[in-house]
Amino acid sequence: MKKVLSFFLIVFIAVFFYSCKKNKIKTIPKPKKQETKIEKVQEEVPKLKVEKLSEEEIFNKKSIEELNKEQVLKIVFFDFDKANIRDDMIPVIEENADWLKKHPTVKILIEGHCDERGTVEYNLALGEKRAKAVKEYLISSGVSPGIITIISYGKSKPLDPAHNEAAWSKNRRAELKIIEK
Amino acid sequence: MKKHMIIIFLIFICLIFFWQSKLFSQRVGITIEKGVAAISVATPKPIFKTKKDIAIKTGNYIYGVFKDDLRFSLVFSLVPEGFTSYIRPLNPKQIFFKDWESIGAKILVVTEVNEDTDDNIIYSITVYDVKTSKMIFGKKYRGKIKSGRLIAHKAADEMMINFGEKPVFSSKIVFVSSRDGNKEIYMMDYDGNNQTRLTKNRYIDILPAISPDKKKIAYTSYRSGKPDLYIQYLYEGILKKISTGGVNYGAKWSCDGKYLVYTSSKSGNAEIYIADSNGSNSQKVTFSRWVDSSPDLSPSNNEIALTSDRTGSPQIYVINRDGTNIRRITFEGTYNDSPAWSPDGENLLFVSRIEGRFDIYKYNFRAQTYSKLTNRGRNENPSWSPDGRHIVFSSTINGTPQIYIMDYKGTRRIRLTYKGKNTMPYWSK
Repeated sequence: MKKVLSFFLIVFIAVFFYSCKKNKIKTIPKPKKQETKIEKVQEEVPKLKVEKLSEEEIFNKKSIEELNKEQVLKIVFFDFDKANIRDDMIPVIEENADWLKKHPTVKILIEGHCDERGTVEYNLALGEKRAKAVKEYLISSGVSPGIITIISYGKSKPLDPAHNEAAWSKNRRAELKIIEK
Repeated sequence: MKKHMIIIFLIFICLIFFWQSKLFSQRVGITIEKGVAAISVATPKPIFKTKKDIAIKTGNYIYGVFKDDLRFSLVFSLVPEGFTSYIRPLNPKQIFFKDWESIGAKILVVTEVNEDTDDNIIYSITVYDVKTSKMIFGKKYRGKIKSGRLIAHKAADEMMINFGEKPVFSSKIVFVSSRDGNKEIYMMDYDGNNQTRLTKNRYIDILPAISPDKKKIAYTSYRSGKPDLYIQYLYEGILKKISTGGVNYGAKWSCDGKYLVYTSSKSGNAEIYIADSNGSNSQKVTFSRWVDSSPDLSPSNNEIALTSDRTGSPQIYVINRDGTNIRRITFEGTYNDSPAWSPDGENLLFVSRIEGRFDIYKYNFRAQTYSKLTNRGRNENPSWSPDGRHIVFSSTINGTPQIYIMDYKGTRRIRLTYKGKNTMPYWSK
C-alpha cells in the first residue's frame, strides 16, 4: 500500500514539476493592437408636451406687441379710391368684432392706409375715411365706441413698397392695433 | 372801264408775285404773348476800386449771381455783354446815356466794389433810367464772400421792388427729403443753393409750409402718434403744437402771413379750419359730412380753395372764408387735389390724376380755362413763387421724385435737388 502511495506521490510530483517547467517555457503573448472605439453619444431630448393654450390664456400671457405681431385682429383691405367695406371683408371685420367683444378691456387704434396712387393730402383724408368705415362697422356689430381711436397714415407706410397692383391692393388697408388690454 | 380792268389785272399779277415770293411763304418767328415785355437792363462789369484779390473775387461772384437772378426773373432781360464793346467805356462820373440807349438798354446798373476791413467788401449798385438819364435808386451792401449769394439776391430783389414786382430771389423753398434716411424737412434758396436741414428726429414729418417772413415753418408731424400740426420757430429753436383732437394736416400760410388754413378731423370728419398765425383762435369753415381738405387761402384772404369729395370723387372747390357760397372749379377727371392760389389771385394750380398719371394744371378764373403744365413723370404739390411767375413742384421725370421749378407756362424747367427722394415743396410767399 505504501509502495502504491509513494508511486502516486512520485508521479504526482513528477507531473507537478513537469507542469511547472512547461509554464516557465510558455511565452507571453504579444499584446494585440487595441483600436479606440468611437462611442456614439446622443443626448435624448425629452418630448415637449404641447398643450394648446386657451384663447383666454394666450390673451393673458402675451404682451400687446406680441398680440399685434400675431395679428389677432385681422387687416381689412379696400378697393382703389374707395373707403366702403368690401363684401369679402365683412367676415374679417365681424371676426374682429367678436374678438373685441370677448375682450372688453382692450382698446384699439385703427390705422387707415392708402396706396401710392393718390396725392399726399387727399390720401390722408382717404386713410381716415377707411379707418372710420371700419370703426363704424365695428360699432354697428356691438363693439363699444369708446375703445376705438382712429389715425391716418396716408401713403407713408406701405406694407409692400413695390409699384404694382399686387402691392397696391395690400397697401389699401385698415390695420387694427391693440393699444391697451 | 378798260383802265379799271388793267389796274385789276396788275393788282392780280402783283398778288401772284407776292404769293410766290418769300415774303408770304416765310414763317416769321415772332410770337405775341400777353403781358409786358421784359425790361432790357445793361449790367456792365463792376468797377473795382480795390486791388485786393479777395475783394475782386467776391465782387465778381456777387455780380455773377446778380445777373443769373435777373436772367431768371422773366421781368428783366440782359443786354448782351458784347454790345458794350460798340460804345464808349463806362465812366461812372460821366455816363453817356445815349450810348446805352443805342445798344437797346432801358435800364443801366452801375456796379462798384470797394474793399473793407477783414475781407469784407462794399458792393454798391446804382440804377439809372437810360432815357431820362435819371437815377432810379442806389443800394450798398457790406459782406464777405460767404454771404455773396445773399447780397446778390437782395440787390436783385431791390430791382424787382423798384419795378413794382414782389421780391423773389431771397425767398425760400421748404421741402421733405429722405437723403439722410428718415423723412425730414429742409430749406433752400429759390435756385437750389443753401440746402439746409431743419428737423432731425425719427418721426414722419410732412407737408411743410414756410411763413412769408421766412422765420417759421408749419408742418405735419406724427411725433405724438397721430398727425398733428406744429410750428417751428426757425431762429428761436422753439417747436409748438397747434392742433388738438383728431387727425390734423396740411397747414398753409396766407400771403400776408396773418392766417393759417389746415385740415382737421377734430369734429369727427375732415373739415377746413382757419386760425391766426400762431395757431390760436381757430374757426371751422366747412360743415359737411364729406372730406374737405387741402385748403389754400386766396391772396385777398376772403376765399379758400379746397378739395372735397362731396360728389363722390375729390374735386376742387372755392368757398368764402365764412363757409358760404361754395362753388366747384374742376369738372374733368375723377381725382383733383392740391389747389394753390396764384399771388395775383387770378389762377389756381391743382394736380389731376388721369389714368394713373399725375399732372399739374392751371385754372384761370377770369377766362375759366384749364391748361396742362406738365407732361411726363408724376408731378405733384405745386406752389407759386412770391411773384407768381414761377412754380415749384415735385416730379419723377428723371426717375426718383425731385424738386423742380418751371415758369407759369410750364416751360423752362430747372431741377433743384439730386440727393435722396425730395417731395412736397412749398415756396415762401
